[in-house]
Amino acid sequence: MRLRAVEHRHRLPQRLKLALIRLVSGRRVPDVVKTLLYRPEFFGRPMCDWTQAVMRGPSPWSVGERELFAAFTSHLNQCRF
Amino acid sequence: MGDLGGRYAAYTARLVDGVLASPGHTPGELRRAVLARAAQLSGSGSDASSPLSQRERGTRVEDATGASGETIPAALAAYADKVTRHAYRVTDEDLGALQRAGTSDDALFEVTVSAALGAALGRLERGLAALRGE
Repeated sequence: MRLRAVEHRHRLPQRLKLALIRLVSGRRVPDVVKTLLYRPEFFGRPMCDWTQAVMRGPSPWSVGERELFAAFTSHLNQCRF
Repeated sequence: MGDLGGRYAAYTARLVDGVLASPGHTPGELRRAVLARAAQLSGSGSDASSPLSQRERGTRVEDATGASGETIPAALAAYADKVTRHAYRVTDEDLGALQRAGTSDDALFEVTVSAALGAALGRLERGLAALRGE
């Protein structure tokens, strides 16, 4: 993570969530999760709502097809996920 | 498929609102200018029949004239353009130079998200235009 604030300066509720994720998964929390939990009212919360609706909400496309579209788009952006 | 833009417009509007209207470490006008500039660079047009919500369209069109760079410091504009065009090319040094110049992490976070969201909206609009056969 290039921005220290986004790596380390989460507010208490988000810090607790991150600690819980670390505890349950036994792994380092992915940067994308840290980004979504940093000042969530600014970006993370509405972004998660948007993602949930687009990727899991009612759609003529199956969840698998939508995940494939997302993976292909990320590939074109040279961004692995 | 014609209602694709409309189906998620409320979610998109809330996302844009969060990024532009939340209290932050940068002026809302700066974030607005960065978002509009990124949307333009990513192919956002001025087609009145775009299915994007009026609010998003307003964000784009109203700010287009103000997004020419005069309200965005040059170094930040160069960084935002890099995020917009090819984010994978951003380096530690790009951010280090801005940090050494006094830009806080929170300001960089806000500018990065504004550019990324603007780029996404521009691409979305271009994709929807293609679906309409334009």
